[in-house]
Amino acid sequence: MKFLVFSDIGKNVAEIATKLRDLGEVHSFTMKNQRETVLKSGSKRLVLLEGTPFSGNVSGALIGSDLPTYDYVFISSTPLGREVAGLISASTGNTIASEIFDFSIDNDKIKTKRFFFGGKTIMEEENSSKIVTVTPGSFEPSESAETAQEETLALSDSHEKLIEEKDRESSGTNIEAAGIIVSVGRGIGSKEAIEKIMPLVSATRGEIAGSRPVCLDYRWLSEERQVGLSGKKVKPRVYIALGISGQIQHIAGMRGSKIVVAVNKDKDAPIFQECDYGIVGDLFQIVPKIVENLKK
Amino acid sequence: MALNIIVLIKQIIDIDQIRTDPNTGEPVTQGIPFRVENLSKNAIEAAVQLKEKNGGKVTGIIFGTDKANAAMKEAYAMGVDDGIIITGYAGNNPSLTAHVISEKIKSISDYNVIILGNQSADSYTGVLPGLIAGKLSVPILGNAVSIEAEDGKIKIRRALEDKDQIISAPTPCVVSVTQEINQPRLPPVLQIMAAGRKPIKTEQPSLVDIHAGKVLSNLAPKSERRRQIFEDASKGSEEVAKAIRSEIK
Repeated sequence: MKFLVFSDIGKNVAEIATKLRDLGEVHSFTMKNQRETVLKSGSKRLVLLEGTPFSGNVSGALIGSDLPTYDYVFISSTPLGREVAGLISASTGNTIASEIFDFSIDNDKIKTKRFFFGGKTIMEEENSSKIVTVTPGSFEPSESAETAQEETLALSDSHEKLIEEKDRESSGTNIEAAGIIVSVGRGIGSKEAIEKIMPLVSATRGEIAGSRPVCLDYRWLSEERQVGLSGKKVKPRVYIALGISGQIQHIAGMRGSKIVVAVNKDKDAPIFQECDYGIVGDLFQIVPKIVENLKK
Repeated sequence: MALNIIVLIKQIIDIDQIRTDPNTGEPVTQGIPFRVENLSKNAIEAAVQLKEKNGGKVTGIIFGTDKANAAMKEAYAMGVDDGIIITGYAGNNPSLTAHVISEKIKSISDYNVIILGNQSADSYTGVLPGLIAGKLSVPILGNAVSIEAEDGKIKIRRALEDKDQIISAPTPCVVSVTQEINQPRLPPVLQIMAAGRKPIKTEQPSLVDIHAGKVLSNLAPKSERRRQIFEDASKGSEEVAKAIRSEIK
């Protein structure tokens, strides 16, 4: 079987290629500046795209790369990837199995799993789709001895124009790789209050993370630290949820954690249904007590 | 420049009210009301703000069922001028939805911009903006946190994972919005009452044979958490510290 894999994020290509390389031949497409992260992904062919990527010129490049010779097209579900999948589907008439986090292939059928009803259920489907979008973080990437045959491909001009671009300050943290995560929700109250949590973060040698409101609405933490259906999917050994009510969209991002600890003052908060250990009460009283006990 | 704006509105079952059966894991959807999907409200708000700034009109399109009148009235109350409900929605099938909606849009020849949410809360597929742009052969500006119109072009600001961008495209184009773009308005009572009297066009879809995936199962994920809850903070902190310590390497 022959697979085409695309993502603008190299790490996401590596995740999907790792899963696919035992099933057939993988040809990976990514941006040129992502080369390092894809080189050892077990792809037979690595096509590095040059230019400013928009969904129009990227889908054009993929369609122009002998697309009909591939059995399946796997695209990582990033904002660019989802658009590219839609454009390829509209152009080829193939349907999309979207936002899947697990799959198995049986000849011309693919069985997929995805979250449904906002994460309340897992829907298992049998598809004849040839295009699949994959939730980032679904598979564990590993290095392969096979080196990819590299080539470059220039993206064409697009109708969309880039007017201004600013790199967001990145701390270089990767919460997806963290062994311990201390995660804060709206219940923390203010950006300043996060300082009061830091002793727990250092005592556990963990990483700080947050819910969607904390990272996107209030911007108390950077976006790269957002856990949830629309953010990072994490699976640490310990996930400590502080002041997080436990909306299903959040649970979907941390369900893979080994042990979940929750602290919340509302004893009916849904997070207490999804934790191993829960403490009902004021997190500012409880966090110092946990730190104290950890130091014993 | 007066704008002819189309906003795509999705009506969903109120997923916050869905419970799953603790024994079978089956979702219980019976008797649960429908509502306008949250991101559709952001899309409506963005469309109405764009109209208020530039002049023009907003046409709302719902591919839904005969229960969609309430959703369209809500859109009217928020400032949508015309509404078209296409009936026949029979479940999550983005390719079919894109076909039905883009066939309808092809009959509205002089539109400038199509606004919709980037990833709806129920099924979360996120592929509709690309599908519709592809079927209409128009550019796409995705994940907007602000929208501006200027002579024959649309300009958006967007926040990607590692960078902020300002991008533009000539009209007509598709713009997908994120929930950070605005705070949807709560319409005043007078507008809600006026909306109730406004006519809504209901049409049949131009259906084609596009099959969705065959659902093998749709169940709540099994949670095997211990759920050991402490109301005594001292005892709780002790137990929690013990559990954490066993996992710190």
